[in-house]
Amino acid sequence: MIKLLNAGFTRLHKNKLFWLLSIFSICLALFMIYMRYSDMKNYKDVIEVEQIMLNYSTIIGIIIAIFTSLFLGVEYSDGAIRNKISIGHKRTNIYLSNLIIITLTSLFSYILFLIIVGSIGIPLFGKISLDVSKLLMLLGCLFITIIAYSSIFTFIAMMISNKTITAVLSIMSAFGMMMIALTCFNILETPKTVQQALMINGETKIEEIPNPKYPTEAKKKMCQAILNINPAGQMFQIAGKTANLKILPFYSLGILAIFTTCGIVLFRKKELK
Amino acid sequence: MEIILETNNLEKKYKDFKALNHTNIHIEKGAIYGLIGKNGSGKTTLIRIICGLQKPTHGEVFIYGININSNDIVKVRKRIGAIIETPSIYGEMTARDNLIEQYKLVGMPNFDGLEEILKLVGLSNTGKKKSKNFSLGMKQRLGIAIALANNPDFLILDEPINGLDPQGIIEIRELILKLNKERRITILISSHYLDELSKIATHYGFLDSGSIIKEISNEELMKKMEHKLILKVHSQKEFVKYFEENKISYEIEDNKTINVYGKNNLAKFVNDLSKKNLIADEIHETKESLESYYMNLIGGNRID
Repeated sequence: MIKLLNAGFTRLHKNKLFWLLSIFSICLALFMIYMRYSDMKNYKDVIEVEQIMLNYSTIIGIIIAIFTSLFLGVEYSDGAIRNKISIGHKRTNIYLSNLIIITLTSLFSYILFLIIVGSIGIPLFGKISLDVSKLLMLLGCLFITIIAYSSIFTFIAMMISNKTITAVLSIMSAFGMMMIALTCFNILETPKTVQQALMINGETKIEEIPNPKYPTEAKKKMCQAILNINPAGQMFQIAGKTANLKILPFYSLGILAIFTTCGIVLFRKKELK
Repeated sequence: MEIILETNNLEKKYKDFKALNHTNIHIEKGAIYGLIGKNGSGKTTLIRIICGLQKPTHGEVFIYGININSNDIVKVRKRIGAIIETPSIYGEMTARDNLIEQYKLVGMPNFDGLEEILKLVGLSNTGKKKSKNFSLGMKQRLGIAIALANNPDFLILDEPINGLDPQGIIEIRELILKLNKERRITILISSHYLDELSKIATHYGFLDSGSIIKEISNEELMKKMEHKLILKVHSQKEFVKYFEENKISYEIEDNKTINVYGKNNLAKFVNDLSKKNLIADEIHETKESLESYYMNLIGGNRID
């Protein structure tokens, strides 16, 4: 395993995609700071640095999907997995080493973003207004969700030998998870009542009536469960600071356990060409 | 002689198609074993199973006497280098970086010998050129360099000369011979280029429709391809005595057939026999090429 990780990190260090990811994280941080700074200058907005810190979480799923599919896709297309097996590495170790590399790279990307936002954002906008322990819990939860995301995209990349199919499926999955999460949010935020305009004796009267689209309790529970299970839903809740921090990490760890166990079992049985 | 690789009744099925059918192969230490078969005969499937990429449906594979299903096979695999179909190289890396990557994968404590391997395969002057920009021959040689990183004593090369130009073929051929002679590496090389294999192989396995239909040493094969007179005789005893006395190379094929090897002049040979009152019922003169030998094998009955 150590040999696989050693070789994997050597490859990562020389990989263009990894450096592009790092540059992207830095540029995104700078861009977000600039945009918020403009808002502060133009509209006298009060900027919360911690909000900028949490915002990257809403799109990191797509970034991990792209990176994982291209980085691990090469393992099949360039014959690296074949080579690792033929020189005696166990399939379980190959799978786990790839998962570790993807997870650490994804976490590195977010930490790099945080460092830039923290080092420029705090002097620029003032200190963090949120309770530090609460912020640390949010970030901890966010990091565990990044691990869950990594396990999903590692699973896809290790199951499919074709790099293009892996990339398309991973990116579509990332967007799919986001769309499902947004749909659930919309349902949960449906107002209980809606306003209705009535004409009585030539006068317009506005009255509140029950919203026919207001979800039932069962539907609300189902949407919340989907949001909690879905890593994109978790990220939206974390970014909105509405996440139940006592529950969400368990969902993420569940995703990690299920995808990694299934991935290892299937990869061990996979017939390689 | 120590057997490096042995398969017993190996079978591989893909749904209803049998890619390997009771395949038995035996590779001796120090050999260059040429695995010959047309496209789709099962060469790559056999190599994939040997390298652990696929599992056989039935049968056994032993490498250095260890069954590939045993846990100890992991240790044995560290003694093997392999190129399966295409060389395992990262196109974005240089030749040196690819080799460093492999050194780390196999857990070499340092990079001693790295430059020597690059020199051995003729890639020491490629500098910062990325391997994706290499010619096919260079990629194959880099693939061999990578396969050599763990100092293997068994090298598996699947179709290493496919798509190479004549110069590339010569380079790979010379490299294989050098590795076998200087480093004493046993080599399994699959190909459908008969002429090329005949220039390097010490042993052959002929694979057809998933079965090894013949295993033969180069020595035996060359003998079979020599100029040959086939004698059909009633009583072999007198003929054998005559051949022994006159040191004529012969082989008894069955109780009525004797094969006589060497560049015999047919008229003189018949004349010499008649002087000794040795009369054959029939005499046929043949000369076989590797190609015709192979075609006879796959076209005709099994030869055991």
